[in-house]
Amino acid sequence: MIIGAALLVGATVVILGACVLLVILVVAVRARRHSRNQRDEMLMSPLRSALITVASGEDDDGAAAEQLTWATGVSRVVLDRNIVEMLGKIRGVPADQLVHVLEVHGAVDAAVEDLTSRSSVRRARAAQLLGLARAKDTVPLLVTALGDESVEVRNSAAYALGLIGDPAAAGPVLAAIGAPERGLPAATAAEALQSMGVGISEVLRDGMADDNARTRMVAAHLSAERSFTLGLPQLRRLLSDDPDLTVRETSATAIGRLGRGEDADTLVRHTADTEPLSLRRACVVALGELGDTRAVPALAEILDDSDPRLAELAATALLSMGAEGSAALAGHEDDPAVRTARLLVSLQRASA
Amino acid sequence: MSAPAGEPDASPVRVLVADDDADIRDLVEFKLTQAGYAVEAVPDGISAWEAFEANPPQLAVLDVMMPGLSGIDVLRKIRESEFPSVPVLLLSAKSRDSDVDTGFAVGADDYVIKPFSPRELLHRVNGMLARAR
Repeated sequence: MIIGAALLVGATVVILGACVLLVILVVAVRARRHSRNQRDEMLMSPLRSALITVASGEDDDGAAAEQLTWATGVSRVVLDRNIVEMLGKIRGVPADQLVHVLEVHGAVDAAVEDLTSRSSVRRARAAQLLGLARAKDTVPLLVTALGDESVEVRNSAAYALGLIGDPAAAGPVLAAIGAPERGLPAATAAEALQSMGVGISEVLRDGMADDNARTRMVAAHLSAERSFTLGLPQLRRLLSDDPDLTVRETSATAIGRLGRGEDADTLVRHTADTEPLSLRRACVVALGELGDTRAVPALAEILDDSDPRLAELAATALLSMGAEGSAALAGHEDDPAVRTARLLVSLQRASA
Repeated sequence: MSAPAGEPDASPVRVLVADDDADIRDLVEFKLTQAGYAVEAVPDGISAWEAFEANPPQLAVLDVMMPGLSGIDVLRKIRESEFPSVPVLLLSAKSRDSDVDTGFAVGADDYVIKPFSPRELLHRVNGMLARAR
C-alpha cells in the first residue's frame, strides 16, 4: 500500500516535471523566434523600402535593385529570405529583377549546391528557391530531385518544376507518381503539370497507357482540365477497359467535360446496374455535363433506381438538358430525388 | 506610369487596399500611390469594412483570405451598403475556377490571382475607374 502510494506520488512528480519542462521549452522556442523576427525586421528595415520599390515595378532607374545587391553578411541572408517570399507573390519584370539580386548574391548557385546537401530541409528549400527563381537551366537537377528519399524534397522539386513550367519536365513528373517507394503524391504532380502549358498533351496521352493506376488517373484528369480533346480515344478505352475503378470514374468525368454527343451512348452503357455504383454515379453526372439529349430515356429510367443518390443525380442531369430533360421528369415530381435535385439546382442558380 | 487621378485640380482618387500580407499591402499601396492615387491600406477585413463605412473609397482592392472578415464578406457588405456601386477588385491566391466564380457571383468587378504583376494590377485599377466614370 505504502509502495503503491509512493509510486503514484513519484509518477505525478515526473509528469508534472515533464509538463513544466515542456512549457519552458515552448516559451523558449517562442522567445527565440520572436527575437529572431525582431532581429530580421531590424536588419531588413534599411532595405525594406528598396525591396518594395523593386517588387512594385517602380524601380525605373534600377537604383533600388542595385541597393539590394549591396547587402552583405546576415543582412544579405535575411534579405534573400524576404526576396524568396516575395517571389511567391509577384510575377513579371519585378520578379525578374529580384531574381537578378538573388543571382548577384550567389543564392541561386548556393541553392544548386544545396540540392545535394545532407539536410532534407536544405534540399527542399533549395528546390523551392530554384523554382521561384524560374531557373530553367536547373530543370535536370530538379528532375533528379523528384526521386529524392525525402517526400518533402520530391514535393518541393515538383512544385519548382511547375513554377518553371518547362513541358520537357512533364514526363518525369508524371512518371514520378508511380515510382516504387519514392512516389510523388498525385495531387502535387497534377498541380505541377497544370502549370506546364499545352506542350504536355502528348505526355498525358502516353500517361494514360502507364502501368501505374495513379499515373493514368492524373493523366485522364488533366486531359479534361486542359481540354486536350486528342486524349478522347484513350479516355474512352480507360472508361471501358481499365482494371482500376478510380481510373474509370475519372475517365467518365473527363468524357463528360470533353466528349462529343456520341459519347452519350458509351456513358449510358456504364450506368447499367451491373456496373459498380460509384462508376454509375460518375457516368450519370458526366451525362448531365455532356448535355446530349440522347441520354434522356436512360436517365429517366434511373429515376426509379433503388439508390436514391443515383436517382437524384439523374434528375439533376435531366434538369440540365432543357425542355426535353425536364419533360422526362413528368410523373416523378413528387419523388424525393427529383424534389432534392430541383432544390439544389435552384440554390445553385440563386447563388450564381 | 501616370494614373488617371481624377480631373485636373481635383483631389486624387481614393483607393482602399486590404491585405493581411504586409508585403502585398505595402507594394500595392506603393504602386498605386506612385500612380497618383490616395491609398488607405489596412491589414484585415474588419478594418477594411470600418474604413469603407467611415469614408467610402472610389475603388477597393481586397484580398480574399483575411482574418476576421474575408474579402468576400467585405465585398458582400459593400454591395449591401449605401454605396453598392464602388468597384471592387479581388486579389487572391485562390485560383480555382470555382473561387473566381464565387468572387464574381458576389459582385466583384475584377479578380486578380497571386502571384500577380503589379503593372497589370495598376492597368486593371485604371480601367475599372475609367469604366466607373
